[in-house]
Amino acid sequence: MVKSAQAHPPKFQIKKLLSEYSYWLSFLILVALAGAMNPNFFRWTNVSNIFVQSAPTGIIALGMMMVICAGQIDISVGAQVAIISGLSIVVLNATSNIWVQLLFCLALGLFIGTFTGALVAKGHMPAMIATLAVQSACRSIINQIGQGGPFTVADKANYETFRMVAAGHISLFGLKIPYPMIMLIAFALLFDLIMQRTKLGKHIYAVGSNETSARLAGVSVDRVKILVFTITGLLCGFAGWLYASRVMAVAASSAGNLFEMDAIAAVAIGGTSMSGGRGKVIGTFLGVLMFKIINNILNLADVPTFLNGAISGGIIIIAVLLQSTQNRKK
Amino acid sequence: MLVEMKGIVVDFGPVRAVDHVDFTVKPGEIVGLMGENGAGKSTLMNVLAGTFPPNEGEILLDGKRVSLGSAKDAMRLGIRFIHQELNLCDDLTVFENMYLAEELLRGPLLNKKAMAERCAKVFERMQVEIDPCAAVETLQPAEKQMVEIARALLFKSEVIIMDEPTTALSTHEIENLFEIMRQLKAQGVSFIYISHKMPELFEICETYSVLRDGKLVSSGRFSDIDESAVTEMMIGRTLSGEDFEHKPCYARDEVALSVKNLTGAGFRNVSFDLRKGEIIAITGLQGSGRDQLADALFGAEPSSGEVTVNGHPVKSGGTVLQHMHRGIGMVPRSRKERGILNDLSIIDNTSMAYFNTKHRKLLIRPKDEVSRYEREKKALSIKADNPKNPITSLSGGNQQKVILGRWLETDADILIFDNPTQGIDVGTKFEIYHLILRLAESGKAILVFSSEFPEIFKLADKCMVMYLGEVRQTLDRAELTEKNMMYYAIGANLEGIRHG
Repeated sequence: MVKSAQAHPPKFQIKKLLSEYSYWLSFLILVALAGAMNPNFFRWTNVSNIFVQSAPTGIIALGMMMVICAGQIDISVGAQVAIISGLSIVVLNATSNIWVQLLFCLALGLFIGTFTGALVAKGHMPAMIATLAVQSACRSIINQIGQGGPFTVADKANYETFRMVAAGHISLFGLKIPYPMIMLIAFALLFDLIMQRTKLGKHIYAVGSNETSARLAGVSVDRVKILVFTITGLLCGFAGWLYASRVMAVAASSAGNLFEMDAIAAVAIGGTSMSGGRGKVIGTFLGVLMFKIINNILNLADVPTFLNGAISGGIIIIAVLLQSTQNRKK
Repeated sequence: MLVEMKGIVVDFGPVRAVDHVDFTVKPGEIVGLMGENGAGKSTLMNVLAGTFPPNEGEILLDGKRVSLGSAKDAMRLGIRFIHQELNLCDDLTVFENMYLAEELLRGPLLNKKAMAERCAKVFERMQVEIDPCAAVETLQPAEKQMVEIARALLFKSEVIIMDEPTTALSTHEIENLFEIMRQLKAQGVSFIYISHKMPELFEICETYSVLRDGKLVSSGRFSDIDESAVTEMMIGRTLSGEDFEHKPCYARDEVALSVKNLTGAGFRNVSFDLRKGEIIAITGLQGSGRDQLADALFGAEPSSGEVTVNGHPVKSGGTVLQHMHRGIGMVPRSRKERGILNDLSIIDNTSMAYFNTKHRKLLIRPKDEVSRYEREKKALSIKADNPKNPITSLSGGNQQKVILGRWLETDADILIFDNPTQGIDVGTKFEIYHLILRLAESGKAILVFSSEFPEIFKLADKCMVMYLGEVRQTLDRAELTEKNMMYYAIGANLEGIRHG
């Protein structure tokens, strides 16, 4: 250790650390700021609440990060959540079994994601256009099925069981740990493992970095492209299930609204390169939390919730601007 | 115009890329600027072209001190940099490209007629036949090069910097380019010619400057030096004793790859047997189908015909991955666009092909990756301090070594090297030649696609020459001379041109 520190001048190392882990720095600053503004910020209920609130978009953001790392984009995730969560309640009403419901969500997400991926990889459509079309189709179908009214759970017993998916918790060392918090952390750990330690992860970075080189190194580029959308679809399925349990009344026209924005924003502040090839799961994970903390701060500062969209737009712009100026300096 | 650069220093962070260099170009002079990759040639030229300012030193044009704040400033003063990668928009016409960002207007509208006419006039002066209204995508690579030069002349450039302008050109087109350069030189235009190709430098340039590690090591007249002197100046040591004249042949009896009547886009009816330990070179000019054949043999382009690998007949066509599983590996041409994964670390770049053919476990162990890299680093003497840095932190030669390592890790029996030393410094070139020979000695079957005769001569047991999509002649080592190779590559045997 001592030797390597001597080999590199310390100043150089700090600079490198700052550029590579800038999201840690912004995260710590935000936490400090929030702590200063809100004396209750570090209370366990508030901390766990931040996790619970970020869970559905956070889980989707992990998939979005994969998609963006592969040089693609998916703006259909919000509409996917809407159609999946809406229909999942219909399934629950019919079967009275939340596990069958979960299976349905995953299957539908898998189908939509794979379909989108095939459009992009096999149909050679730009991802922006393909997912825009899927977004529009999904939203319109669920609006038609819902006919203006919300999807609600009919049976009282089903209602109580399903509610606990988002509202339940386990107790550990005297702390109440909500299920959604566990889910988000578990997914983040899983995805970090996939991105860093599996062939698929390396392939995703390779495809996002340079498709031709990746193909000539034996990477099945089409398969990787389809897979990132499939995985995001699966995550939308899971997040749709969780989301339905949290709201319990899924309104077809507004469910999952702007989830794609939140997910892309989290990925952007998390330091993932918007042109693909580079990014870390931990960055996206912190990005998700930062996004929620910013909302938290804005609420305390009495900024109207209608302006949330403007805020997330602003955050994306700032994060990506910082990224591109940093890249230019290199 | 007299250009004088005095005491130029450029620092990139802690790295000194150019170190107190003096460089002079007289009017109507063609200067050869030489040096290994990373010696500081491009940096020095970027300073002259206004891309970035030097940290120290001054630039004098006709004795007057100037400060070049941007590329536009430099262009206004008559200095143009024609980069190795041509900066043309394929979808626009020739004249639109030439006037890009400096369009002639009539009121608010484009004055297309005037622009096309002036471009035509420049082409006339250069004595080339290019239609100013043609779309750039319809042009040959050589014509695109001409368009870049014409663009420089259009704006009355007096100093034209050319970075490896002949990479994409055939011998005939190179001759044509030189002819134009000589004409312009007579009109007082001076050139700075950056190249690794000795014969061209000796042919077209009068004076030379050699950079090494950012410093000017020598300058003078080409008539006073020879190729081995230049090589020595560039790499700081001699390559004497590098005797490839009596290259041993390691070919064994077993046939590793047999191809019969392989046909695909751009080539047809290609047949050959490649034995273990044998090195066959395949050459041909641009458009001969050489590139497409290389890609087809590796499954990157579709093809049909009979292919036998190690005695097993396989389906022709198929994906890259299938070819890799059959034991074929390919170091692709154009390293930047087709070889490296620029966002990935050196380690990941080394392991990428291994992941696809040999990795069977669910998880990748970072320790395995590092030991794979360390093995290749030692075998290929890759110079890198931190293997977790992106591959773009390495010099071109070291990047290429990483790509070689990538394929050595797959243990492929048949290796295809497609233009393996493109844009690589002399020292590394020789290392790669030795490596290829060692691989052949160990029994690998090797195909080298190349257009450089010295390279082919150093390696090949046999050389297949392609012309217009077909293999026209296979030369044995005894028949392998540059004259012979060119004779078949330009199709002289078919056109009834007499030998010699």
